[in-house]
Amino acid sequence: MRRAIFAIALLALTLPSQALARGEFDPTDEFEQHEWIPIHIGPLDLSITKAVVYLMLGSVLTMALGIVLMRWRLNVQPGTRQTYGETIYDVAQSQIAEQGLPSKAIGLWFPYVATLFLFIFVVNMIGFIPLPLTGETWHGFPVWGIYAATSSISVTLALAALTFVFTHFEGVRWNGPGRYFKSWIPDAPKPLLALIVPLEILGQIMRLISLSVRLFANMLAGHILILTFIGLMFILETVILAPFVITVATAFYIFEVVIVVGIQAFIFATLSAIYIGSAIEPQH
Amino acid sequence: MLATILAATSGDVTKAGKAIGLALGVGLGAAGAGVGIGLIFSSMIQAVARQPELRGELTGIQWLGFALTEAVVFYGLLGSILAFVLV
Repeated sequence: MRRAIFAIALLALTLPSQALARGEFDPTDEFEQHEWIPIHIGPLDLSITKAVVYLMLGSVLTMALGIVLMRWRLNVQPGTRQTYGETIYDVAQSQIAEQGLPSKAIGLWFPYVATLFLFIFVVNMIGFIPLPLTGETWHGFPVWGIYAATSSISVTLALAALTFVFTHFEGVRWNGPGRYFKSWIPDAPKPLLALIVPLEILGQIMRLISLSVRLFANMLAGHILILTFIGLMFILETVILAPFVITVATAFYIFEVVIVVGIQAFIFATLSAIYIGSAIEPQH
Repeated sequence: MLATILAATSGDVTKAGKAIGLALGVGLGAAGAGVGIGLIFSSMIQAVARQPELRGELTGIQWLGFALTEAVVFYGLLGSILAFVLV
């Protein structure tokens, strides 16, 4: 069964259907956003695009995962399903939340950090499963393809902005504005402060950028890599390359699914916990 | 020498420059990140060889460091793509 699923996934990967449909191959086609259901409210553009559909699917799957693994028919003696749920919970608590959050804030912020972990993991993961959501048809059939919502900077920037806002909100709430902003100023000789304080403020803003760009660029590069290697066949218009190209693309696919998807979700959640924790209990 | 090369040049030179810039940006970023990732794993091997009982605790830190270092390539990639698209 597992082998059959793997073979089908491979087969779907080896058919870069957009290239077949259009006649020419461009790896960036995958990342174009077309308005499927236009919703415009004044200057706001709330249209349903491919990324929005993937995000909705991701949130529904995240909720289902949480309910099925961690809420549904729990026993004192855990079965296989419950063991998976407990493992995920344990990782979220001991590896992510307790790394960064102080014990007085763990009850309040553990749900947020664990949700980030699960949600980003699920959205990354469905980005590597071929789904008929490319929005194109080939002789009447919907074309299957891979696309991750997290390979769009708007999605990751929104997630990073959540953490950014919560960090400073919590810092001010627990310490008061005076003590919190004073904690940004390190112990240094007075003349140096004029140099260090702007850097410190810049560092706070750079956190927002690095947090979002890390996830976005990782997923984008992973998808471009796989698409480009398979696309070599179509760019050079030979089938002789197929064994080489498919091997390399499969290797990158496995690397992305096994390592990058989990690691990036883990990193995003851990860094969020560390940032929020360090705002609640400043060093100085 | 230069005159002959310039005389032989035809086609879109700007495009070639952009392509070279993109490749250089990503390649130099990858070189730096390669050294960094190698250092992380080498110190991990040394640490586990000296104190095998700490493996569990170290693994989390190792992957954190791996992902933070690996992201450096993507900053280079992003900068290069920006230069490629905007200039």
